[in-house]
Amino acid sequence: MLYVQILINGILLGGLYACIAVGFSLVWGVLNVINILHGSFIVLGAYLAFFAYTGLGIHPYLFAPFAALVLFMLGYAVQLTVINRVIEAPVLVTLTTTFGLALLLDNLMLVVFAANFRKVSLKPPLGVIDLSDTFPSIDLIVPVDRLASMLFALVFVALLYWLLRHTVVGRAIVAVRMDRYAATLMGVDTTKVFAVTFALGAALAGAAGALLSPIFPISPLAGTTYLGKAFVICVLGGLGSVSGALVGGLVLGVLESFGALFFGPEHSLTLSFTVLILLLIFRPNGIMGKRGFV
Amino acid sequence: MVDLLKASGLCGGYGDVQVLHDVALTVKAGEIVCLIGSNGAGKTTLLRVLSGMAKSTAGSILFADQDLRGLPAQEIVRRGIAHVPEGRRLFAGMTVRENLLMGSYLRGDGRAVINKDLDFVLATFPKLAERLHQDASTLSGGEQQMCAIGRGLMANPTLLMIDELSLGLSPKLVGELSKALTEINRAGQSILLVEQDVATALRLASTGFVLDTGRIVLSGPSNELVANPSVREAYLGMTAA
Ligand SMILES: Nc1ncnc2c1ncn2[C@@H]1O[C@H](COP(=O)(O)OP(=O)(O)O)[C@@H](O)[C@H]1O
Ligand SMILES: [Mg+2]
Repeated sequence: MLYVQILINGILLGGLYACIAVGFSLVWGVLNVINILHGSFIVLGAYLAFFAYTGLGIHPYLFAPFAALVLFMLGYAVQLTVINRVIEAPVLVTLTTTFGLALLLDNLMLVVFAANFRKVSLKPPLGVIDLSDTFPSIDLIVPVDRLASMLFALVFVALLYWLLRHTVVGRAIVAVRMDRYAATLMGVDTTKVFAVTFALGAALAGAAGALLSPIFPISPLAGTTYLGKAFVICVLGGLGSVSGALVGGLVLGVLESFGALFFGPEHSLTLSFTVLILLLIFRPNGIMGKRGFV
Repeated sequence: MVDLLKASGLCGGYGDVQVLHDVALTVKAGEIVCLIGSNGAGKTTLLRVLSGMAKSTAGSILFADQDLRGLPAQEIVRRGIAHVPEGRRLFAGMTVRENLLMGSYLRGDGRAVINKDLDFVLATFPKLAERLHQDASTLSGGEQQMCAIGRGLMANPTLLMIDELSLGLSPKLVGELSKALTEINRAGQSILLVEQDVATALRLASTGFVLDTGRIVLSGPSNELVANPSVREAYLGMTAA
């Protein structure tokens, strides 16, 4: 029963992880930019949700779409004004650029929000579903806040999937991902597609930040942790595909839960990077193999 | 017939490397024109310059009496030139139907008209209709070329440019594709065809241009080019009689 409980915890975590990673993966896949800013975008989304809840009483789950919207606009602006200038440069240049921007944003948040940890404490707390209440033989619990965060996170991931598959913008993004040259021949404006893609990545980061704000403590420097997770998930699931991020997120969530059981929760990051290194050695294209897109 | 496309004095290439030198080429409305020349002559580069995918440094590209030179690629598609690239370059992971619809990406004339064009493409290439919901990367070489041409047609272009129609295809398939192109042309489509297989090219086209190291060295009606001793020797593998 303990193992089933750990598995449930892992899956709950995994859905949220998928949402954390999918925007990062999209930007990497389509723009070939490793966006170091992604973790900071998540933290910003979490702060926005925190102040929306403490200041205006807006529930983080309701606020998530607004966090996504704000980050979408920010992402669009950052792409058009800064990243677009270096987009044709080698990946190291764009990586350094986003690294610099991340330092800027992190320190800005440090100044504005101060370094102390904050947490959205939902009042009243959402509590847990105790399965043994209804099935006396099943001794399992499901924390409602984590369940809700996971479900909303999956909704955002599904929305992205739908957008990529069924809208004109989405088709253009996928076309650029598959073959930039051919997409241009179809009349796709790659500059615009890059900006929209980057904005979408930021929007998903914002949503993820809002959704994790009731669960994880928020601090201006937490971005690195989320970035690291997004990185591992991309390597796990394969780059630039929604399904890859989903699988990678779930695998990492479950791995971390069991890792916390066997090695203690303080080693979860060590564990994920160990997995990263092993994968880079043995399955460099991810568990799912190299995939085109969604 | 009216001149649809009239390039003159065209120079261009990649970065500091000039590939095209003072190229002149004309396509009249409703005609199939072929551009022939050996490997590395600059045929692909010329098509790229025409479609805005490579830089030109001098000259003019008059299309429907407006100069296209220097316009971005999407504007050139919008004005009515579709470029079917060498190597097909279909979008893997997308179905045949999705690939075809990418061709109509810029069109704002409504779903009904686009669906009519889709029906036309599928009637022209019935094999595509059978594979409509299959991943485009699973198609055979010939089917991929059909899909690439269909995708070009879906832009509803005034001028369709095809780079290397027959590359890597069996004679039977080349025959099928040639028949389809002739049909499309009869329906009024102007075509600029780049082709290594000079015999096929001159059979299909009414006019031909010969490109050699970035310069047009010969041009004229296809029947004259076929009879031209230097064409026969250099490109048709026959010794001058
Ligand atoms: N992307 C490129 N960058 C630099 N040079 C190129 C590029 N593509 C082609 N070239 C050069 O331009 C010349 C013409 O090539 P191309 O237009 O592909 O010829 P063709 O299509 O007739 O075989 C060749 O010398 C080739 O090496
Ligand atoms: Mg070529």
